[in-house]
Amino acid sequence: MKKRYLALIVLLSTFLFGSKADSSIWGTDLLTHILEYDKEGSLHMGYWFTLIQSTYVKPMLLFVLIVIPLAFIVHYLLIGPKRFSHEGRSIMMFPLFKRINHGIAAISFIIIVPTGIIMIFGSTFGGGAFVRFCKEAHAISAPLFFLSVIPMLLTWFSRMLLSPKDDLRWLKIVGGYLSKEKKPVPAGMFNMGQKIYFWIVTLGGLVMIATSVALYFVDFEIIRPVLEYYSLSQIDFLRISALTHNIIGIVIVAMFMVHIYMSVFAIEGAYKSMVDGKMHEEEVKILHSTYYKELQEKGEV
Amino acid sequence: MTNSLGDIQNAKAIIIFGANPAVNHPVGFQHFLKAQERNNAQMIVVDPVFTKTAAKADIYVRIRPGTDIAFMYGMLHLIFKNGWEDEDFINDRVYAMDDIKAEAEKWTPEKVSDVTGVPADKLIQVTKLYANAGVGTLIWAMGLTQHSIGSSNTRLAPILQLALGNMGKEGGGTNILRGHDNVQGATDMGCLSDTLPGYYGLSEGSWKYFASSWGVDFEWLQGRFKSPEWMGKKGFTLARWWAGAINGKDGNDQIHNAGTGLKNLFVMGNGITSIAQQAKVKEGLDSLDMLVLCDPFVNEAAILTDKQDDVFILPAATQFETSGTVVATNRSVQWRTKVVDPLYESKTDQWIMFELAKRLGFYDEFTAGMKIKENKKDFTWPEDATDEIARIIKTIGLTGWTAKRVKSHTENWHMFDQISGRGYGKMKGEYYGLPWPCWTEKHSGSPVLYNTNRSVAEGGMGFRNRFGLEHDGTNLLAEDGSAPKNSAIEGGYPEINKDNIEKVLGITLTADEKAKIGKNWKVDKSNIIAEKCMEKGLAPYGNAKARAKVWTFPDQIPMHREPLHSPRADLVKEFPSYEDKSNHFRVDTKYVSKQTEQEWVKDFPINLVTGRLVNMNGAGMENRASKYLAALTPEMFCSINPDLAGRHGIRDGSMMWIHSPEGTKIKVKAKYSHSVTEDRIFIPFHFAGHFQGEDRTSNFPAGTAPYASGESANTVTNYGYDIVTQIPETKGGLCRIEYAKEEA
Amino acid sequence: MGEFARLNFYCDEHRCINCDGCSVACAEAHELPEYISRRKVITMNEGIENMEYSLSIACMHCTDAPCEQVCPVDCFYIREDGIVLHDKDKCIGCAYCLYACPFGAPQFPLDGAFGTKGVMDKCTMCAGGPEETNSHAERELYGQNRISEGKVPVCAAMCSTKALLVGDSAEISDIYRERILSKGHGVKTQPYGWDVAYGKKM
Repeated sequence: MKKRYLALIVLLSTFLFGSKADSSIWGTDLLTHILEYDKEGSLHMGYWFTLIQSTYVKPMLLFVLIVIPLAFIVHYLLIGPKRFSHEGRSIMMFPLFKRINHGIAAISFIIIVPTGIIMIFGSTFGGGAFVRFCKEAHAISAPLFFLSVIPMLLTWFSRMLLSPKDDLRWLKIVGGYLSKEKKPVPAGMFNMGQKIYFWIVTLGGLVMIATSVALYFVDFEIIRPVLEYYSLSQIDFLRISALTHNIIGIVIVAMFMVHIYMSVFAIEGAYKSMVDGKMHEEEVKILHSTYYKELQEKGEV
Repeated sequence: MTNSLGDIQNAKAIIIFGANPAVNHPVGFQHFLKAQERNNAQMIVVDPVFTKTAAKADIYVRIRPGTDIAFMYGMLHLIFKNGWEDEDFINDRVYAMDDIKAEAEKWTPEKVSDVTGVPADKLIQVTKLYANAGVGTLIWAMGLTQHSIGSSNTRLAPILQLALGNMGKEGGGTNILRGHDNVQGATDMGCLSDTLPGYYGLSEGSWKYFASSWGVDFEWLQGRFKSPEWMGKKGFTLARWWAGAINGKDGNDQIHNAGTGLKNLFVMGNGITSIAQQAKVKEGLDSLDMLVLCDPFVNEAAILTDKQDDVFILPAATQFETSGTVVATNRSVQWRTKVVDPLYESKTDQWIMFELAKRLGFYDEFTAGMKIKENKKDFTWPEDATDEIARIIKTIGLTGWTAKRVKSHTENWHMFDQISGRGYGKMKGEYYGLPWPCWTEKHSGSPVLYNTNRSVAEGGMGFRNRFGLEHDGTNLLAEDGSAPKNSAIEGGYPEINKDNIEKVLGITLTADEKAKIGKNWKVDKSNIIAEKCMEKGLAPYGNAKARAKVWTFPDQIPMHREPLHSPRADLVKEFPSYEDKSNHFRVDTKYVSKQTEQEWVKDFPINLVTGRLVNMNGAGMENRASKYLAALTPEMFCSINPDLAGRHGIRDGSMMWIHSPEGTKIKVKAKYSHSVTEDRIFIPFHFAGHFQGEDRTSNFPAGTAPYASGESANTVTNYGYDIVTQIPETKGGLCRIEYAKEEA
Repeated sequence: MGEFARLNFYCDEHRCINCDGCSVACAEAHELPEYISRRKVITMNEGIENMEYSLSIACMHCTDAPCEQVCPVDCFYIREDGIVLHDKDKCIGCAYCLYACPFGAPQFPLDGAFGTKGVMDKCTMCAGGPEETNSHAERELYGQNRISEGKVPVCAAMCSTKALLVGDSAEISDIYRERILSKGHGVKTQPYGWDVAYGKKM
């Protein structure tokens, strides 16, 4: 009995001294934030968040969800996939560790991306328990994604650095995907397209993780010294996080769709590399010509 | 309160000494705010701490605790110097203002500044504003009364108003904000150890009047006391009952209680933990043979005491579980109707008292009074009790407070004006709650005391004639031209009694009336005196001058004396406290010997200021057992100036010790605040349950502990009691603070 | 109330004394958990002469409510009389309404799965929610529905000094103007926060 009351009092104290008076959002600063909302000299983040979130986020995502698949359908019909022979040597590109790593990332993305889209279009799905479930699934997969993105960032770091020689030329010819020819394309182990995707997903992903933590816990003080240093209020920080999260999210959705198209449709059979880690010689010679030369010099082909 | 809360809206200036209405009367405070808004009234707050009331003030005066007399004399000095006083009023209605004037002459603004800490120009600004405002109201509460010179404080404040002619005016008066719901009713009914109900004294005449009014034998009543002389002696007070229990052991103050200590204590209500020197209170509790506590919640005295046996807790019902009358701070009565039957096993206060009376063998005598009016066999509670009060209490004119009238006011409370209290429609001719004195069953009630602009029948009156017709050759009755409207006598007249009624009123009584009439207006059961007076437009209690000099008091005119624990050793020499008083409400009480025991300020340099929180009341038990109220202030704390805290290494939210000159200490949380300056700290007095760092809440019976407990401020309030009333000096003490190291 | 009445809140900082009568009344009437404060009273510049003031803040039931604009599941609905309410069954607890709100009105109890953010709770102006009026379900989720009984929201009803007013915006503006004018402050154009909540023009 006594313990229960002690617990209640302690609980009351922490919640109340913790969340009411000291709360970064609902505490004494609340009045200051109300008075400065959208006034000259403020960051106007409340205004921008409301405007962008209510008017632009859904249309942007819809645009991405319609236009990109449409573009790829056109590409597939007009140009079609690249087919490479399965004769000859198979080159080990992705050892087991990296495949497992990528696999975990894939699983997390398969949960994160659709649930994120569902949340943005929450009203279309009727809100309520279903969308709430998606939100929790989205949140649970996020640590999974975080665990997979760090090793990827570290292990593929050097190979993903831009090499000006190849990458600009790759860009100019869009990696050769705009023609049906099979001419060698300037690219290292990873081509410019893959590099762009990599950096957006890893660095953007880290930003997504950081903002998602802020959005998940909402009222926390651990970074208060940092915010104070930049004269940023907690609520403005949350507004910026929400906007960043949604906009980068849309970018990632777009890039993810490109990634799926490229790895599943644009190159026939490429998805198999996810499982066995190998690429056939012809494919490497054409799509990653610089890397092929490197292997030749090493005497591995 | 001489006027009413609504009447404050008529003021052009409001000066508040030692009161915090924004916190202790939040709903009543709207009248202060409306006075500011509608009447452009200027509000001046004089307080040691920048309170929530001060935040709404037009002028805030930060004063050193216990120096209000110096400040008021400073005001009077300027008033007389500039001729701002109301000469006619003083000549006609005040006695001995010259003595005040002579004393005020010494209090120049510079002298006042030295003693009070208030800059001279601020004193001048405040006085000029207040004296020339037209009509000003003076408000006070515990900040003025709870000092060793409290009775002098509360005399000088009305004297200030008398000098300005602000008494007996709408928008003026001395308006004391009484603290608890029905504390006015409690004192009206004699819950004091030196009066009978209605402030009748303890003389044999009073006792005989009550005995006959109650229908009990006077000898039987006298026989209840140890000996007849004890019937007339003042008893112990709430402030020092524990001295009776400790009985002078181990160097404690000696008592005069017929050779015995206090053995048993029966408590109804929350007072025990609300008085100074809780360590001594604990000693007192531990010394008792038997302790009985009746309250809806477990009185924290139960967990403070170490007494294991013969501690009884009786569950009393709340006001919602019973009906009856309550009296507000403006002397008006209201009916409260029961909302729900007593919950669980709790019983109403009256049930408890009746059962006790039955077992102690005097139930019949106890209840006889309620059956007299209608000569009944059985009484109806509470209507018959209400009628008994109306029948008997004449001193404050409760004759008009019959149960029927009181109920009709509460049922029709929408038919009264908010500011004047005047009734409309079927309540026409009555003021809301029939503020006493309500001389007859038809009287309207008296909303503004001492108002000579109204006839007595409509609530007007002069000052009471209580101290004779003259003193030292000066006429004590009011001068010509200062009688209430429609008065048969143009000037002053004495209080009416059997012998002078015909002469003073110019009437002849019939033989029947002569037979029935009482000895004087206070003991006139027939109420003939009051009725005749109403016909002639006279107040039964006379029309005299208010006296600025009280020749029976230790200080005939109010004098400044430093608090017993003063931060100014030099001023202690110049303004020492009283000589020690023996047998002060049965306890020998120290004054100057305590003050000069040592130079307190050397070891205890910080002023200790106590006060209220808006979400709590009194000793706080009821509110700390309420979830949301406790959630607002879940812990005991001390408001401390950041610079003062910094010097002691105390951070915002860290624990600190407060040490008192009595040798006690409390451990509380520090809360940085700019409302206090570096020489003082503020602690709320609503907490209890911890004692000198020890958490005693494990002593609560299962399930009865409140949500919030903490140290009691009264563990560290200092020794000190008013010379006349013995109220504790909780508003003027010293302390020492220290950073508290956290235990692992 | 006129045909085009819009209900607004107004807290007069000249009268608010931080008595917390409003916040406690709200918590009691709707039986809120201790860590949710639909209405909070904040004092600024405490202890500083001529600068201390207090205000009682809750959802202002804005015109063009930003919360309603940004909600991804469209759980808000705005009544004809201006009261902004939401459907707790639709709400997913994403907190976008909190980010959009200039007044910090949305609150989130930590009673979701594993102590996560639950669905949003805020001042309903004592007008309940989408459930059947005065049903048990409505009371459990949203608290009392006093508006349906023609009663004033409990916070304003309990305000000690009548600092907190709620009612038709025209009437409230009149009361405000009257109070300010009679004190000789000069005529202010609008109370704090109204330009944000109810549009820049008054």
